[in-house]
Amino acid sequence: MNRNHYNFDLNGLLKKVFFVDLIQGLFITFHYTFSKTITMKYPDEETWIPYKRFRGLHTLNKNKEGKELCVGCELCQKSCPTQCITVVPMQDTTGKGIADRVAYRWEINLLRCMFCGLCEDACPTEALKLGREYELAGTSMQRHLLTKEELLAPQAVPAEFEGGVIVKARLGTDETGIKVVPDMSVQKRWW
Amino acid sequence: MATVKINGKEITVEDGTLILDAATSAGFEIPTMCFHARLSKLASCRVCLVEIVGQKKLQPSCVTPVMHGMEVLTESPVVKSARSAMIDLLLANHPLDCPVCDKGGECELQDITFKFGPRKSPFGEEKRRFHEEDYILSPVIIQNANRCIQCKRCVRICAETVGAEVLGSIDRGAGTGETSFVKEYLDCDHCGNCIEVCPVGSLMSRSFRYKSRPWDLKGVDTVCTYCGTGCQLTVQARNGEVLRVISKPDKGINHETLCARGRYGYSFINSHERLVTPMIRKGGTLEPATWDEALKAIKEGITGAIRNGGKIGGIASSRLSNEELYLFQRLMRVVLKTNHIDSGSRWNTGAVKTFTEVMELSRGGVSIYDALNTDTLLVIGSSISDENPVTDYMIRRLSQNKKMNIIIASPRGMKLDSSAALTLRHRPAAEGEIISGISRVLYDKNADKLNDLSGKEPLKSISKENISSLTGTDWGRIESAANFMSSSNSVTIAVGNDVLRGPSRLEFLNVLVGALRLLGKEVKLFPVFDRANQRGAWEMGVHPAMMPGYSATAGNGLGCEGILEASSRGEMDVLYVIGEDIVSDFPDGRFAEEALHRVKFLIVQDMFLTETAKMAGVVLPGASFVEKDGTFTNQEGRVQRLRRFLPPQGDAKADWEIIAAVGAAVDPSFNYGSAAGIFGEIKEAAPMYREIAFESLDGSGALIKETNRKGTDLKSVPSVASQMPAASPDPDYPFVLITGNHLYHSGRLSLRTDILRDILSEAIVEISEEDAKDLKVGKGDKVVVKGERYEATLTVHVNKRSAKGVVFIPENFTDVRVNMFFTKGEGLPRVRVLPLTGKSHGGGIK
Ligand code: SF4
Ligand code: SF4
Ligand code: SF4
Ligand code: SF4
Ligand code: SF4
Ligand code: FES
Repeated sequence: MNRNHYNFDLNGLLKKVFFVDLIQGLFITFHYTFSKTITMKYPDEETWIPYKRFRGLHTLNKNKEGKELCVGCELCQKSCPTQCITVVPMQDTTGKGIADRVAYRWEINLLRCMFCGLCEDACPTEALKLGREYELAGTSMQRHLLTKEELLAPQAVPAEFEGGVIVKARLGTDETGIKVVPDMSVQKRWW
Repeated sequence: MATVKINGKEITVEDGTLILDAATSAGFEIPTMCFHARLSKLASCRVCLVEIVGQKKLQPSCVTPVMHGMEVLTESPVVKSARSAMIDLLLANHPLDCPVCDKGGECELQDITFKFGPRKSPFGEEKRRFHEEDYILSPVIIQNANRCIQCKRCVRICAETVGAEVLGSIDRGAGTGETSFVKEYLDCDHCGNCIEVCPVGSLMSRSFRYKSRPWDLKGVDTVCTYCGTGCQLTVQARNGEVLRVISKPDKGINHETLCARGRYGYSFINSHERLVTPMIRKGGTLEPATWDEALKAIKEGITGAIRNGGKIGGIASSRLSNEELYLFQRLMRVVLKTNHIDSGSRWNTGAVKTFTEVMELSRGGVSIYDALNTDTLLVIGSSISDENPVTDYMIRRLSQNKKMNIIIASPRGMKLDSSAALTLRHRPAAEGEIISGISRVLYDKNADKLNDLSGKEPLKSISKENISSLTGTDWGRIESAANFMSSSNSVTIAVGNDVLRGPSRLEFLNVLVGALRLLGKEVKLFPVFDRANQRGAWEMGVHPAMMPGYSATAGNGLGCEGILEASSRGEMDVLYVIGEDIVSDFPDGRFAEEALHRVKFLIVQDMFLTETAKMAGVVLPGASFVEKDGTFTNQEGRVQRLRRFLPPQGDAKADWEIIAAVGAAVDPSFNYGSAAGIFGEIKEAAPMYREIAFESLDGSGALIKETNRKGTDLKSVPSVASQMPAASPDPDYPFVLITGNHLYHSGRLSLRTDILRDILSEAIVEISEEDAKDLKVGKGDKVVVKGERYEATLTVHVNKRSAKGVVFIPENFTDVRVNMFFTKGEGLPRVRVLPLTGKSHGGGIK
């Protein structure tokens, strides 16, 4: 090209006359118009389910027999660098936990949490997991102080679910605000 | 001295020092498990193994003493691997349920495993399990025997220190579990010391069960406010709620030990019955009021009385701090210009004065360890095992390692009797006579050397028959007591506050001490008190005849009994009572109640609405011991700090603040802003306190010292021999009733704590085994104790070693008002005991 730089360029002229570059560009555009859509219609129709390794909102789990795994050992509280967990144990003889020691209070202040996952690593009974819920915006501070009962409630994405997919979703509203409700049965990969 | 090389570092230590201690002082850490500094040596766990150069076998450093020239290795590869293997053996059967275990975070096994232990274990066998669920061993202990590592610290502390001997081990070897011989509820002292020394989570505290990890607790080192022993303890709370009390091995004269009251008597702090606002009597009932209203009412009451020249008096509890007691007497003497003050309502004011003199309290403090470094120890006037449990532990501990003749003179049998060389069971209130008897024997044997003895004249008029019949004690035993003393080089006489309950012949103690000193013995006097700051109260001058520092007062004041007598005549205009439940404590409850009704203006300051407070015109809410700053002086004369740790409940205030406010209401120049400031003034007023630094008092506090002593004090000596008529047995009322504190309770506060109430909440009556046999009753049976004016149904406890004819009812319970048996001025009441088969309970006026 450098050699011909000062010469007359017929090729270039023809390209300009017939809008070749434009057509080529528009062709790509049209190609995408008719190919598979990759835009996620979040939050109205679709939502992203992260991989298992994701560190989202904490969950407190139960074992297969439905007994609380948390024994209120306070290790998660001790390991938390931001001191956002409070655990108060108690004795329980009703058998609701795996031992006679259960958490009386288990509270987390999400405003301080940095989702480092150290609490999960410290938990000796695998009661505590960082789950896959990441829609944590809220309209009041109080919404970010979560208690044991809220954390024991199962999250929308079950622990076994592989993740890394887009699933069908619907935008629901209730008294706590707007919520995206995933439907795990209709999935797609985004690549 | 021996010079040894430890890991190449040369140090010189005393001969006989353990390798463990030598290495620690050289700065090396050796893990231990079964070792405990103040218990007998067991050497069973072998985690403390060290290598001695030249010896093939590793040696346990906790029992092996150093030898001159020894070379010790604590970190050689052999030691490290052997140590780790020993720890692995401990872990082989350990359940490793740390997340659930309450000891997690302060477990010695966790700590040594982390530092010295293996990272992996080859043991794959099934672990030994004795039981699946933790089981309750006593009202205070819950046990998980699976976690036990068989160090036997619990067994040793219970037998060697507490003297209860209720823990033992079952089976041997790997199948050993520490428990009571039979797996049933322990009937023990409930001191919790076994829990304290258990290195793992085998013995655990029931009240602290699953409450918190140790790292979430905030604590304060303070002093126990129950008895005069003055134990250091640490109160720990989470988010402002007190969860437990622990003792620390390196703190205080008590080290790791406490008694049930000290360890479990804290929950009154968070009690919902606490007074949280001042109250004023309006139209017959007490109504909540503000501080301003209460102080205004007090100001009006007091200034009115002053204007009319009325009588003002004050009674403060010997459980207040030195600062509060000092300020109280200052308010009384300087602002209200009265000498009618007293501490407590149980003591005879005259006996107190004699006691302070003959016990040489103004000579400053005597450390209990000095006092117990003696050949012969006489304990008299105190049921020390019940009233001052940790003093009892210390005596038991020290008497095991050295030859000490313990002589116990008391009407009641006690646990310490088993360590005693001689026990003198005597009639109640005959302490003075016992002492005069001993003095007489000493005098007879050494008359030539005792020519200069002051008080020898009345001594000579004592006859052995008279003393025997007065005391009910065999003369031969009194003689052996004297013989123990004359064959010793040093004698310590511990005198308890039972001698203060009536006019006693305590002057004879001066004669005894004088005689012993003339015979060249080293004599130490050791007072024993059932209230934490009894000594401080007198030293602060809360006594009608004593100013701060034991100087004499100019005026003539009334003690508690005098104040009540004046009240009953309607002469008392204002009475200010702090922390003392006179109605329940004064020995003649009916009289006290009637007298207080005639006080024109009664101010009561307390934490609870006591029987006395219910009668008040104004009630002021005081603070508990963790809610205020100050100092206490224990029976030894040791000043220890009380530290504010929590804010007072509701509108309650530290008692010194209230006293200062009351003073300022009457005289605005009465201005005090801090406990430390008041202590500064105490140093001026009581020179014995001059060298004590309020801010830097820590650990075991500091002993007060005698200062500027001029000449000898004027000491009371008896003028005549005992002439108390020998009590003529009354067939209708054959028993003598005595009172005191129960092992689990102290005063009226401990019954407000739930754990101590769980242990024992109903009044009991203790009788001797002989009497029990005669009456055909046993432990747990109900009997009616009948006096001339009062009777009560109580549960029998049998004391194997008590004197016949003596009935003991603790003064701590509310269901039976033991002071109603008493009639003022008539000494100890006589009662009848009638077996009962029914289940009814409680006291009633006949
Ligand atoms: S994720 Fe990290 S910051 Fe958040 S609670 Fe756990 S430990 Fe604390
Ligand atoms: S979540 Fe896990 S680490 Fe936290 S208290 Fe419960 S068991 Fe212990
Ligand atoms: S509580 Fe005290 S008396 Fe009871 S077993 Fe333990 S150490 Fe012994
Ligand atoms: S119960 Fe505790 S103190 Fe007693 S032997 Fe076992 S581990 Fe040692
Ligand atoms: S009551 Fe006495 S012996 Fe018991 S812990 Fe308190 S100070 Fe010590
Ligand atoms: S500590 Fe030395 S053998 Fe146990």
